Amino acid sequence: MRRNGPIIVGLISGLVVIVANFFVGTVMQTLRNEVTQWQLIAGAFAVLVGSINLCRIHMTKISRKKEDRFFSWVLLVGFFGFLLFGLPKGSSSHPQFQWVFKTSLEPMSATMFALLVFYIASAAYRAFRVKTPEATVLLLAAVILMLGKVSVGRMISEWIPQASSWLLDYPNTAGMRGITIGAALGAVATAFRVLIGIERGHLGGIG
Amino acid sequence: MSFWEKMERLDRRVIYVLLIAAVAFALIKPVGLAITISKETQATYDLFDGLPPGSIVWIGCEYGASNITELQPILTCVLRQGLAKDLRFITGGMWAQAGNLAESAWEDVSADFPDKQYGIDFVNVGYRPGGERLLPALVADAHEALMGRDNRGTSLDDLPLMQEFKSLTDAAAILVLVSGTPGEKEYIRLVTDQHGIPIVAGAVSVSVPEAMPLLNSGQLKGLVMGMAGAAEYEVLIGKPGSAVAGMDAQSFAHVLIILFIVLGNLGHIALGKHKKKA
Repeated sequence: MRRNGPIIVGLISGLVVIVANFFVGTVMQTLRNEVTQWQLIAGAFAVLVGSINLCRIHMTKISRKKEDRFFSWVLLVGFFGFLLFGLPKGSSSHPQFQWVFKTSLEPMSATMFALLVFYIASAAYRAFRVKTPEATVLLLAAVILMLGKVSVGRMISEWIPQASSWLLDYPNTAGMRGITIGAALGAVATAFRVLIGIERGHLGGIG
Repeated sequence: MSFWEKMERLDRRVIYVLLIAAVAFALIKPVGLAITISKETQATYDLFDGLPPGSIVWIGCEYGASNITELQPILTCVLRQGLAKDLRFITGGMWAQAGNLAESAWEDVSADFPDKQYGIDFVNVGYRPGGERLLPALVADAHEALMGRDNRGTSLDDLPLMQEFKSLTDAAAILVLVSGTPGEKEYIRLVTDQHGIPIVAGAVSVSVPEAMPLLNSGQLKGLVMGMAGAAEYEVLIGKPGSAVAGMDAQSFAHVLIILFIVLGNLGHIALGKHKKKA
Protein backbone atom coordinates (compact mmCIF):
# COMPACT_ATOMS: atom_id res chain seq x y z
CA MET A 1 0.00 0.00 0.00
CA ARG A 2 2.91 2.31 0.79
CA ARG A 3 4.00 1.93 -2.82
CA ASN A 4 0.64 1.67 -4.56
CA GLY A 5 -1.25 4.27 -2.49
CA PRO A 6 0.48 7.35 -3.96
CA ILE A 7 0.32 5.87 -7.47
CA ILE A 8 -3.45 5.30 -7.15
CA VAL A 9 -3.98 8.84 -5.80
CA GLY A 10 -1.88 10.23 -8.66
CA LEU A 11 -3.72 8.17 -11.27
CA ILE A 12 -7.19 9.19 -10.06
CA SER A 13 -6.27 12.90 -9.66
CA GLY A 14 -4.57 13.00 -13.06
CA LEU A 15 -7.44 11.25 -14.85
CA VAL A 16 -10.01 13.58 -13.25
CA VAL A 17 -8.12 16.66 -14.49
CA ILE A 18 -7.62 15.24 -17.99
CA VAL A 19 -11.15 13.86 -18.45
CA ALA A 20 -12.78 17.07 -17.11
CA ASN A 21 -11.29 18.97 -20.06
CA PHE A 22 -13.51 16.94 -22.43
CA PHE A 23 -16.77 17.29 -20.48
CA VAL A 24 -17.51 20.97 -19.98
CA GLY A 25 -20.21 21.82 -17.42
CA THR A 26 -20.50 18.33 -15.92
CA VAL A 27 -19.84 16.79 -12.52
CA MET A 28 -16.31 16.08 -13.76
CA GLN A 29 -15.55 19.78 -13.64
CA THR A 30 -16.75 19.98 -10.04
CA LEU A 31 -14.48 17.05 -9.26
CA ARG A 32 -11.59 18.71 -11.08
CA ASN A 33 -12.06 21.91 -9.06
CA GLU A 34 -12.02 19.84 -5.88
CA VAL A 35 -8.80 18.08 -6.95
CA THR A 36 -7.25 21.45 -7.84
CA GLN A 37 -8.13 22.78 -4.38
CA TRP A 38 -6.47 19.74 -2.80
CA GLN A 39 -3.40 20.35 -4.91
CA LEU A 40 -3.15 23.86 -3.46
CA ILE A 41 -3.41 22.47 0.07
CA ALA A 42 -0.75 19.85 -0.71
CA GLY A 43 1.40 22.66 -2.16
CA ALA A 44 1.14 24.60 1.10
CA PHE A 45 2.26 21.52 3.03
CA ALA A 46 5.13 21.06 0.58
CA VAL A 47 6.38 24.56 1.46
CA LEU A 48 6.29 23.60 5.15
CA VAL A 49 8.07 20.28 4.55
CA GLY A 50 10.66 22.03 2.37
CA SER A 51 11.35 24.61 5.06
CA ILE A 52 11.78 21.94 7.74
CA ASN A 53 14.08 19.96 5.48
CA LEU A 54 16.17 23.03 4.66
CA CYS A 55 16.63 23.79 8.36
CA ARG A 56 17.45 20.15 9.14
CA ILE A 57 20.18 20.03 6.47
CA HIS A 58 21.83 23.22 7.69
CA MET A 59 21.53 22.32 11.38
CA THR A 60 23.27 19.04 10.59
CA LYS A 61 26.05 20.95 8.81
CA ILE A 62 26.53 23.15 11.87
CA SER A 63 26.43 20.29 14.38
CA ARG A 64 29.01 18.34 12.32
CA LYS A 65 31.21 21.45 12.17
CA LYS A 66 31.45 21.35 8.37
CA GLU A 67 33.94 23.73 6.74
CA ASP A 68 31.34 26.12 5.26
CA ARG A 69 28.99 26.08 8.27
CA PHE A 70 29.18 29.88 8.52
CA PHE A 71 26.83 30.11 5.52
CA SER A 72 24.44 27.69 7.22
CA TRP A 73 24.39 30.05 10.20
CA VAL A 74 23.61 32.98 7.91
CA LEU A 75 20.75 31.04 6.33
CA LEU A 76 19.26 29.95 9.67
CA VAL A 77 19.57 33.42 11.23
CA GLY A 78 17.88 34.92 8.15
CA PHE A 79 15.20 32.24 8.06
CA PHE A 80 14.25 32.41 11.74
CA GLY A 81 14.83 36.18 11.88
CA PHE A 82 12.22 36.81 9.20
CA LEU A 83 9.93 34.15 10.68
CA LEU A 84 10.03 35.43 14.27
CA PHE A 85 9.77 39.05 13.18
CA GLY A 86 6.96 38.38 10.72
CA LEU A 87 4.74 35.92 12.59
CA PRO A 88 3.58 38.30 15.38
CA LYS A 89 2.74 40.92 12.73
CA GLY A 90 0.00 38.69 11.34
CA SER A 91 0.76 39.25 7.65
CA SER A 92 3.69 39.85 5.36
CA SER A 93 2.08 43.16 4.34
CA HIS A 94 2.53 44.62 7.83
CA PRO A 95 4.40 47.97 7.45
CA GLN A 96 7.26 46.91 9.75
CA PHE A 97 7.76 43.60 7.96
CA GLN A 98 7.45 45.37 4.64
CA TRP A 99 10.15 47.83 5.75
CA VAL A 100 12.50 44.98 6.63
CA PHE A 101 11.74 43.36 3.25
CA LYS A 102 12.42 46.58 1.34
CA THR A 103 15.61 47.46 3.19
CA SER A 104 17.20 44.02 3.38
CA LEU A 105 15.90 41.33 1.04
CA GLU A 106 15.14 43.57 -1.96
CA PRO A 107 18.59 45.25 -2.17
CA MET A 108 20.50 42.06 -1.31
CA SER A 109 18.65 39.97 -3.91
CA ALA A 110 19.01 42.68 -6.55
CA THR A 111 22.73 42.92 -5.77
CA MET A 112 23.20 39.18 -6.16
CA PHE A 113 21.47 39.25 -9.54
CA ALA A 114 23.41 42.36 -10.64
CA LEU A 115 26.71 40.63 -9.86
CA LEU A 116 25.97 38.34 -12.79
CA VAL A 117 26.99 41.12 -15.14
CA PHE A 118 30.63 40.65 -14.15
CA TYR A 119 30.55 36.92 -14.83
CA ILE A 120 28.68 37.46 -18.09
CA ALA A 121 31.17 40.12 -19.20
CA SER A 122 34.12 37.88 -18.39
CA ALA A 123 32.48 34.81 -19.96
CA ALA A 124 31.49 36.75 -23.11
CA TYR A 125 35.07 38.01 -23.51
CA ARG A 126 36.45 34.46 -23.31
CA ALA A 127 33.69 32.53 -25.12
CA PHE A 128 32.87 34.73 -28.12
CA ARG A 129 35.88 33.92 -30.30
CA VAL A 130 35.98 33.44 -34.07
CA LYS A 131 37.10 29.84 -33.75
CA THR A 132 34.58 28.27 -36.15
CA PRO A 133 31.95 29.58 -38.60
CA GLU A 134 29.21 28.64 -36.08
CA ALA A 135 31.00 30.51 -33.28
CA THR A 136 31.35 33.54 -35.57
CA VAL A 137 27.61 33.55 -36.29
CA LEU A 138 26.94 33.33 -32.54
CA LEU A 139 29.36 36.19 -31.89
CA LEU A 140 27.76 38.44 -34.51
CA ALA A 141 24.25 37.68 -33.29
CA ALA A 142 25.26 38.47 -29.71
CA VAL A 143 26.89 41.77 -30.66
CA ILE A 144 23.89 42.87 -32.75
CA LEU A 145 21.45 41.96 -29.97
CA MET A 146 23.53 43.66 -27.27
CA LEU A 147 23.72 46.85 -29.30
CA GLY A 148 20.15 46.65 -30.59
CA LYS A 149 18.64 46.50 -27.13
CA VAL A 150 20.25 49.71 -25.86
CA SER A 151 19.99 53.31 -27.00
CA VAL A 152 23.54 53.42 -28.32
CA GLY A 153 22.71 50.85 -31.02
CA ARG A 154 20.22 53.20 -32.68
CA MET A 155 22.78 56.03 -32.45
CA ILE A 156 25.26 53.96 -34.47
CA SER A 157 22.73 52.91 -37.12
CA GLU A 158 18.97 52.45 -37.52
CA TRP A 159 19.85 49.10 -39.01
CA ILE A 160 21.08 47.66 -35.70
CA PRO A 161 17.76 47.66 -33.77
CA GLN A 162 16.02 46.35 -36.90
CA ALA A 163 18.50 43.50 -37.21
CA SER A 164 18.17 42.81 -33.50
CA SER A 165 14.36 42.57 -33.81
CA TRP A 166 14.70 40.32 -36.85
CA LEU A 167 17.00 37.98 -34.90
CA LEU A 168 14.46 37.73 -32.08
CA ASP A 169 11.43 37.44 -34.38
CA TYR A 170 12.70 34.82 -36.80
CA PRO A 171 15.73 32.64 -35.94
CA ASN A 172 15.04 32.87 -32.21
CA THR A 173 11.30 32.21 -32.55
CA ALA A 174 11.92 29.25 -34.84
CA GLY A 175 14.44 27.75 -32.43
CA MET A 176 12.32 28.39 -29.34
CA ARG A 177 9.25 26.84 -30.98
CA GLY A 178 11.23 23.71 -31.76
CA ILE A 179 12.45 23.52 -28.17
CA THR A 180 8.95 24.17 -26.79
CA ILE A 181 7.30 21.52 -28.96
CA GLY A 182 10.03 19.01 -28.10
CA ALA A 183 9.73 19.76 -24.38
CA ALA A 184 5.93 19.52 -24.55
CA LEU A 185 6.09 16.09 -26.19
CA GLY A 186 8.56 15.01 -23.51
CA ALA A 187 6.26 16.35 -20.80
CA VAL A 188 3.28 14.41 -22.20
CA ALA A 189 5.32 11.21 -22.27
CA THR A 190 6.63 11.77 -18.72
CA ALA A 191 3.15 12.66 -17.43
CA PHE A 192 1.80 9.44 -18.92
CA ARG A 193 4.58 7.41 -17.28
CA VAL A 194 3.88 9.08 -13.91
CA LEU A 195 0.15 8.51 -14.28
CA ILE A 196 0.42 4.78 -14.88
CA GLY A 197 3.12 4.34 -12.27
CA ILE A 198 6.15 3.55 -14.46
CA GLU A 199 7.97 6.74 -13.43
CA ARG A 200 8.37 6.72 -9.62
CA GLY A 201 11.18 9.19 -8.96
CA HIS A 202 8.73 11.65 -7.38
CA LEU A 203 7.81 9.06 -4.74
CA GLY A 204 11.25 9.42 -3.16
CA GLY A 205 12.61 6.10 -4.31
CA ILE A 206 9.74 3.95 -3.01
CA GLY A 207 9.14 0.92 -5.21
CA MET B 1 54.10 38.75 -23.51
CA SER B 2 53.15 40.74 -26.61
CA PHE B 3 50.33 43.31 -26.74
CA TRP B 4 48.00 40.93 -28.58
CA GLU B 5 48.75 38.12 -26.17
CA LYS B 6 47.79 40.47 -23.33
CA MET B 7 44.59 41.39 -25.13
CA GLU B 8 43.76 37.76 -25.70
CA ARG B 9 44.31 36.80 -22.06
CA LEU B 10 43.07 39.86 -20.24
CA ASP B 11 42.76 39.33 -16.49
CA ARG B 12 39.09 39.15 -15.52
CA ARG B 13 39.71 41.64 -12.67
CA VAL B 14 40.59 44.29 -15.27
CA ILE B 15 37.22 43.65 -16.93
CA TYR B 16 35.46 43.90 -13.55
CA VAL B 17 37.11 47.21 -12.61
CA LEU B 18 36.41 48.84 -15.98
CA LEU B 19 32.82 47.61 -15.89
CA ILE B 20 32.27 49.07 -12.40
CA ALA B 21 33.79 52.36 -13.58
CA ALA B 22 31.58 52.51 -16.70
CA VAL B 23 28.36 51.70 -14.83
CA ALA B 24 29.17 54.04 -11.92
CA PHE B 25 30.04 56.89 -14.31
CA ALA B 26 26.74 56.50 -16.18
CA LEU B 27 24.72 56.37 -12.97
CA ILE B 28 26.48 59.35 -11.36
CA LYS B 29 26.64 61.46 -14.51
CA PRO B 30 23.82 60.37 -16.87
CA VAL B 31 24.28 61.43 -20.48
CA GLY B 32 20.58 61.04 -21.31
CA LEU B 33 20.74 58.77 -24.35
CA ALA B 34 17.53 58.88 -26.38
CA ILE B 35 14.96 56.17 -25.67
CA THR B 36 12.88 54.96 -28.61
CA ILE B 37 9.59 53.19 -27.96
CA SER B 38 9.43 49.67 -29.37
CA LYS B 39 6.23 48.32 -30.92
CA GLU B 40 6.02 45.63 -28.23
CA THR B 41 6.02 48.18 -25.36
CA GLN B 42 3.61 50.42 -27.26
CA ALA B 43 1.20 47.48 -27.71
CA THR B 44 1.25 46.85 -23.95
CA TYR B 45 0.57 50.50 -23.22
CA ASP B 46 -2.23 50.60 -25.80
CA LEU B 47 -3.96 47.57 -24.30
CA PHE B 48 -4.38 49.27 -20.90
CA ASP B 49 -5.09 52.60 -22.55
CA GLY B 50 -8.00 51.05 -24.44
CA LEU B 51 -9.72 49.48 -21.42
CA PRO B 52 -12.90 51.20 -20.22
CA PRO B 53 -12.68 52.94 -16.81
CA GLY B 54 -13.53 50.59 -13.94
CA SER B 55 -12.10 47.52 -15.68
CA ILE B 56 -10.36 45.04 -13.42
CA VAL B 57 -6.79 44.06 -14.31
CA TRP B 58 -5.07 41.06 -12.75
CA ILE B 59 -1.32 41.50 -12.29
CA GLY B 60 0.62 38.29 -11.75
CA CYS B 61 3.86 39.10 -9.92
CA GLU B 62 5.73 35.98 -11.00
CA TYR B 63 9.23 37.05 -9.99
CA GLY B 64 11.47 37.47 -6.99
CA ALA B 65 13.18 40.42 -5.36
CA SER B 66 16.32 39.73 -7.42
CA ASN B 67 14.49 40.99 -10.52
CA ILE B 68 13.16 44.28 -9.12
CA THR B 69 15.55 46.38 -11.20
CA GLU B 70 13.91 45.24 -14.42
CA LEU B 71 10.35 44.35 -13.41
CA GLN B 72 9.37 46.64 -10.54
CA PRO B 73 9.42 49.77 -12.75
CA ILE B 74 7.04 48.02 -15.17
CA LEU B 75 4.67 47.26 -12.30
CA THR B 76 4.68 50.81 -10.98
CA CYS B 77 4.29 52.25 -14.51
CA VAL B 78 1.23 50.11 -15.30
CA LEU B 79 -0.29 50.96 -11.91
CA ARG B 80 0.26 54.68 -12.54
CA GLN B 81 -1.15 54.49 -16.05
CA GLY B 82 -4.16 52.44 -14.93
CA LEU B 83 -5.03 54.38 -11.79
CA ALA B 84 -4.94 57.62 -13.80
CA LYS B 85 -7.49 55.97 -16.11
CA ASP B 86 -9.63 54.64 -13.22
CA LEU B 87 -8.69 51.02 -13.86
CA ARG B 88 -8.70 48.73 -10.83
CA PHE B 89 -5.99 46.22 -10.00
CA ILE B 90 -5.68 42.92 -8.20
CA THR B 91 -2.15 41.63 -7.68
CA GLY B 92 -1.04 38.18 -6.68
CA GLY B 93 1.16 35.37 -7.77
CA MET B 94 2.69 31.93 -7.60
CA TRP B 95 6.11 33.24 -6.53
CA ALA B 96 6.81 33.53 -2.81
CA GLN B 97 7.62 37.25 -2.77
CA ALA B 98 4.67 38.31 -4.94
CA GLY B 99 2.80 39.86 -2.03
CA ASN B 100 5.68 41.99 -0.78
CA LEU B 101 6.69 43.19 -4.24
CA ALA B 102 3.13 44.27 -5.04
CA GLU B 103 2.88 45.97 -1.65
CA SER B 104 6.13 47.88 -2.40
CA ALA B 105 4.72 49.06 -5.74
CA TRP B 106 1.43 50.17 -4.13
CA GLU B 107 3.42 52.10 -1.48
CA ASP B 108 5.37 53.87 -4.23
CA VAL B 109 2.35 54.69 -6.38
CA SER B 110 -0.53 55.33 -3.97
CA ALA B 111 0.99 58.56 -2.61
CA ASP B 112 0.49 60.14 -6.06
CA PHE B 113 -3.18 59.04 -6.16
CA PRO B 114 -4.70 60.18 -2.85
CA ASP B 115 -8.25 59.51 -4.09
CA LYS B 116 -7.52 55.83 -4.77
CA GLN B 117 -8.14 53.43 -1.93
CA TYR B 118 -6.96 49.98 -0.99
CA GLY B 119 -9.86 47.55 -1.30
CA ILE B 120 -11.69 49.67 -3.87
CA ASP B 121 -9.09 50.42 -6.53
CA PHE B 122 -6.36 47.99 -5.56
CA VAL B 123 -6.15 44.68 -3.72
CA ASN B 124 -3.06 42.63 -3.10
CA VAL B 125 -3.96 38.98 -2.61
CA GLY B 126 -0.29 38.01 -2.42
CA TYR B 127 1.40 34.67 -2.82
CA ARG B 128 -0.42 31.38 -2.77
CA PRO B 129 1.44 28.06 -2.85
CA GLY B 130 0.63 25.26 -5.28
CA GLY B 131 2.48 26.47 -8.36
CA GLU B 132 0.59 26.62 -11.63
CA ARG B 133 -2.45 24.81 -10.16
CA LEU B 134 -3.32 28.14 -8.57
CA LEU B 135 -4.45 29.43 -11.95
CA PRO B 136 -7.27 26.93 -12.67
CA ALA B 137 -8.29 27.28 -9.02
CA LEU B 138 -8.53 31.06 -9.48
CA VAL B 139 -10.64 30.52 -12.58
CA ALA B 140 -12.97 28.09 -10.80
CA ASP B 141 -13.46 30.14 -7.60
CA ALA B 142 -11.03 32.93 -6.80
CA HIS B 143 -12.19 33.42 -3.21
CA GLU B 144 -11.80 29.75 -2.39
CA ALA B 145 -8.40 29.58 -4.11
CA LEU B 146 -7.25 32.57 -2.08
CA MET B 147 -8.53 31.01 1.16
CA GLY B 148 -10.81 34.02 1.67
CA ARG B 149 -8.06 36.47 2.69
CA ASP B 150 -5.83 39.04 1.02
CA ASN B 151 -2.13 39.53 1.74
CA ARG B 152 -2.93 41.81 4.67
CA GLY B 153 -5.12 39.17 6.28
CA THR B 154 -8.34 41.06 5.51
CA SER B 155 -11.37 38.97 4.63
CA LEU B 156 -12.11 39.21 0.90
CA ASP B 157 -15.76 39.74 1.79
CA ASP B 158 -14.79 43.09 3.35
CA LEU B 159 -13.09 44.36 0.19
CA PRO B 160 -15.54 45.96 -2.30
CA LEU B 161 -13.31 45.24 -5.31
CA MET B 162 -13.29 41.53 -4.52
CA GLN B 163 -17.10 41.41 -4.64
CA GLU B 164 -16.76 41.93 -8.39
CA PHE B 165 -13.91 39.46 -8.72
CA LYS B 166 -15.14 35.93 -8.16
CA SER B 167 -13.03 34.35 -10.88
CA LEU B 168 -9.89 35.18 -12.82
CA THR B 169 -12.19 35.40 -15.86
CA ASP B 170 -13.64 38.60 -14.34
CA ALA B 171 -10.38 40.34 -15.28
CA ALA B 172 -10.60 42.49 -18.42
CA ALA B 173 -6.88 41.99 -19.00
CA ILE B 174 -3.90 40.30 -17.42
CA LEU B 175 -0.38 41.58 -16.97
CA VAL B 176 2.15 38.97 -15.96
CA LEU B 177 5.62 39.97 -14.83
CA VAL B 178 7.92 37.03 -15.34
CA SER B 179 11.42 35.86 -14.63
CA GLY B 180 10.98 32.11 -15.03
CA THR B 181 8.54 29.26 -14.46
CA PRO B 182 5.67 29.46 -13.62
CA GLY B 183 5.15 32.48 -15.81
CA GLU B 184 3.45 33.69 -18.97
CA LYS B 185 3.26 30.23 -20.59
CA GLU B 186 1.19 28.89 -17.69
CA TYR B 187 -1.20 31.83 -17.84
CA ILE B 188 -1.66 31.34 -21.58
CA ARG B 189 -2.11 27.58 -21.33
CA LEU B 190 -4.42 27.52 -18.33
CA VAL B 191 -6.30 30.83 -18.47
CA THR B 192 -6.10 33.27 -21.35
CA ASP B 193 -6.24 30.94 -24.38
CA GLN B 194 -9.21 29.07 -22.87
CA HIS B 195 -11.17 32.13 -21.77
CA GLY B 196 -10.16 34.74 -24.33
CA ILE B 197 -8.65 37.23 -21.89
CA PRO B 198 -6.03 39.56 -23.39
CA ILE B 199 -2.64 39.12 -21.74
CA VAL B 200 0.57 41.14 -21.88
CA ALA B 201 3.87 40.39 -20.18
CA GLY B 202 6.85 42.14 -18.71
CA ALA B 203 9.90 39.89 -18.79
CA VAL B 204 13.46 40.08 -17.54
CA SER B 205 15.83 40.37 -20.50
CA VAL B 206 17.02 36.77 -20.30
CA SER B 207 13.42 35.52 -20.53
CA VAL B 208 12.60 37.59 -23.62
CA PRO B 209 13.73 35.00 -26.24
CA GLU B 210 11.43 32.45 -24.59
CA ALA B 211 8.46 34.84 -24.74
CA MET B 212 8.96 35.89 -28.37
CA PRO B 213 7.12 32.93 -29.99
CA LEU B 214 4.10 33.71 -27.81
CA LEU B 215 4.19 37.32 -28.93
CA ASN B 216 4.56 36.42 -32.59
CA SER B 217 1.66 33.96 -32.38
CA GLY B 218 -0.56 36.68 -30.92
CA GLN B 219 -1.03 34.82 -27.65
CA LEU B 220 0.73 37.70 -25.91
CA LYS B 221 -0.70 41.06 -26.97
CA GLY B 222 2.38 42.99 -25.85
CA LEU B 223 5.74 42.48 -24.23
CA VAL B 224 7.83 44.85 -22.13
CA MET B 225 11.40 43.64 -22.52
CA GLY B 226 13.60 44.04 -19.47
CA MET B 227 14.94 47.35 -18.25
CA ALA B 228 14.95 48.80 -21.78
CA GLY B 229 11.21 48.11 -22.05
CA ALA B 230 10.64 49.51 -18.55
CA ALA B 231 12.46 52.69 -19.55
CA GLU B 232 10.27 52.97 -22.65
CA TYR B 233 7.16 52.60 -20.47
CA GLU B 234 8.41 55.31 -18.11
CA VAL B 235 8.78 57.59 -21.12
CA LEU B 236 5.29 56.64 -22.36
CA ILE B 237 3.58 57.57 -19.07
CA GLY B 238 5.75 60.71 -18.80
CA LYS B 239 7.36 59.80 -15.50
CA PRO B 240 11.04 58.88 -15.98
CA GLY B 241 12.32 56.79 -13.09
CA SER B 242 14.89 54.18 -12.18
CA ALA B 243 14.70 52.35 -15.52
CA VAL B 244 15.43 55.46 -17.59
CA ALA B 245 18.28 56.28 -15.21
CA GLY B 246 19.66 52.76 -15.62
CA MET B 247 19.60 52.72 -19.43
CA ASP B 248 22.73 54.85 -19.80
CA ALA B 249 24.57 52.43 -17.52
CA GLN B 250 23.28 49.47 -19.53
CA SER B 251 24.38 51.11 -22.80
CA PHE B 252 27.86 51.78 -21.43
CA ALA B 253 28.17 48.25 -20.06
CA HIS B 254 27.10 46.68 -23.37
CA VAL B 255 29.54 48.82 -25.36
CA LEU B 256 32.37 47.94 -22.98
CA ILE B 257 31.63 44.21 -23.19
CA ILE B 258 31.59 44.45 -27.00
CA LEU B 259 34.94 46.27 -26.90
CA PHE B 260 36.40 43.46 -24.84
CA ILE B 261 35.00 40.89 -27.27
CA VAL B 262 36.54 42.79 -30.22
CA LEU B 263 39.93 43.13 -28.49
CA GLY B 264 39.92 39.47 -27.50
CA ASN B 265 39.17 38.45 -31.08
CA LEU B 266 41.80 40.78 -32.56
CA GLY B 267 44.33 39.13 -30.25
CA HIS B 268 43.00 35.73 -31.24
CA ILE B 269 43.39 36.54 -34.97
CA ALA B 270 46.75 38.33 -34.59
CA LEU B 271 48.18 35.29 -32.87
CA GLY B 272 46.89 33.07 -35.68
CA LYS B 273 44.73 30.96 -33.38
CA HIS B 274 41.68 31.30 -35.59
CA LYS B 275 43.36 29.09 -38.18
CA LYS B 276 43.60 26.17 -35.79
CA LYS B 277 40.67 23.77 -35.56
CA ALA B 278 38.58 24.32 -32.41
